[in-house]
Amino acid sequence: MFLSAEFRAREQVVQAVRDLTAQGFVRDRLDLYSDEPVEMPAGVLPRRSYMSLGAVTGAVLLLLLTIGFVYFTQYNYPLVTGAMPIFSFWATGVIFYELTMLGAILTTFCWFLWESGVLRRKRRGPVPELKDGAILLRVECEGNQGETANRVLREAGAESVQELRA
Amino acid sequence: MAAISEPVVANAARAQLWRPLLHTSARYRMVVALLAAVTLWGLFAWGYQLKTGIGVAGIRRPVFWAIYLVNFVFWIGISHAGTLISAILRLTDAGWRKPVTRAAEAITVFALMIGGMFPIIHLGRAWLFYWLFPYPTERLLWPNFRSPLLWDVTAISTYLTGSTIYLFLPLIPDVAALARHTTGWRRRVYRALSVGWTGSDREWHALEFAMKLMAGIILAVAVSVHTVVAWDFSMSIAPMWHSSIFGPYFVAGAIFSGIAALLIAMAVIRRTLHLEAYLTEHHFNNLSKLLLLMSLLWFYFTVAENLTAWYGNEPKEMAVFGARVRGPFAPYFWAMVICNFVVPFVLLGIRRLRTIRTATIASVCVLIGMWLERYLIIVPTLSYGRLAATWGKYAPTWVEISISAATFTTMALLYLIFAKLFPIIAIWEFETEVMEVSSVS
Repeated sequence: MFLSAEFRAREQVVQAVRDLTAQGFVRDRLDLYSDEPVEMPAGVLPRRSYMSLGAVTGAVLLLLLTIGFVYFTQYNYPLVTGAMPIFSFWATGVIFYELTMLGAILTTFCWFLWESGVLRRKRRGPVPELKDGAILLRVECEGNQGETANRVLREAGAESVQELRA
Repeated sequence: MAAISEPVVANAARAQLWRPLLHTSARYRMVVALLAAVTLWGLFAWGYQLKTGIGVAGIRRPVFWAIYLVNFVFWIGISHAGTLISAILRLTDAGWRKPVTRAAEAITVFALMIGGMFPIIHLGRAWLFYWLFPYPTERLLWPNFRSPLLWDVTAISTYLTGSTIYLFLPLIPDVAALARHTTGWRRRVYRALSVGWTGSDREWHALEFAMKLMAGIILAVAVSVHTVVAWDFSMSIAPMWHSSIFGPYFVAGAIFSGIAALLIAMAVIRRTLHLEAYLTEHHFNNLSKLLLLMSLLWFYFTVAENLTAWYGNEPKEMAVFGARVRGPFAPYFWAMVICNFVVPFVLLGIRRLRTIRTATIASVCVLIGMWLERYLIIVPTLSYGRLAATWGKYAPTWVEISISAATFTTMALLYLIFAKLFPIIAIWEFETEVMEVSSVS
């Protein structure tokens, strides 16, 4: 079951998240929805990201592929050169650099799509409809947690609490 | 000048910033029609060149690189607007950049698209451009990986990919909001572009992280792109080209012209879309100071470049230097110095004179000056080569002039269409700033 609570102030949301976690709600099951980014104090609803690691991995991967490709083209040429490469390897540094960067760019973009969850619509459950200026807190409840969540949210200052249906 | 913009109520801001998207005036249609007409004329000229052959351009031995390459370098330079304003200021957390960034990022993408076309136009047989891509042909012919032309292809493709993503990422929340508030085809388009954005904190977190990461990457790419463009020249042992300073000289010039283009775009947007409350004198003041700084840097590089050539007194270099400074190219050279240094120094250096109007005038001068600079780098060196017997003159034909003029109208056209389809100010970033300003006050 999913509950959605509407708040108007950031402080109320912070309080609600703190109270819910104190009641045993897992942070991964709490989601905020808003028109603009809501900055939370350190430790409240932290979100980890491995995007930079992904970007470096993508960069290294494309660099290795480029090196392999350039090396291959040095020798795969219909000309008798006595097994000598057709061109100098080091003069292609610019190509390596640019394609390394391209690897980082493309990986960052793909990582963003994956990490943000925008493409994983089915897995993320029902989504509350955004309202101008409102901050919506969605709580995923298990068993009989719904009642507790409802009470905590209202005590923290929620204007309304609704059950979300898929 | 005002120190800070007035806080604006977020919803009112949104309504005002969305208004140009939903209402089209007769004047807008007229301007678009005019720009489209010139663009079509340019396309006709290119079509004529494709049909008749590259001979219809004024390119003759020894001047085999001319206006097409001038335009290429010029537009790639303009594309640095987005990088500097958006990436550097994002990395340094400069709050005032927020209403300016999207306008800058859009310039980058469109200028790159236009600039990237010129090597293809210059090829003559443009339909064979795909030979530049490394793919195994039936003859096992690979492109020359050591050729700066191929470096250009890789650098510009990377930069264009990165810039497009960099423009697209912060657009997502805005198009998602637009999808909720529009109907019909707009709703469908915005919904598709919003890639399922719901506004969750995970999405915001990933977006902000991706933007910071992309800012760092795109900065490194931007510097390399114009350095590679500079190496197109400096890797050849031609007089006044074979210079180690060319890389940073080109990068500085690119950022300089990029800021000028951004200032002009902002002034036009501010006036036509009535965004006086968002693009304030504060933004123009800050950008004017940056433009002034880059003008001084450009002057320093120009002096350093020309002084060493003059002091070295190498005959082949002196022939080009003389042609530029006191020969047939002298009017262009001194016009360039006036446009790039004297005008910005006077109009922006004296505080009392620094207004939105003078900043726009100075920016127009800088664009003219930078175009002339690119012309003076390319044409005199080729006209006065190492062998005096091969010296020759260059004059552009109507085909080259038409295509060049069309690039400016294409840029304006793309920009107008973009401003009609998407908010030119990143609303979610701006609202965050408004909230911050309100809470401080």
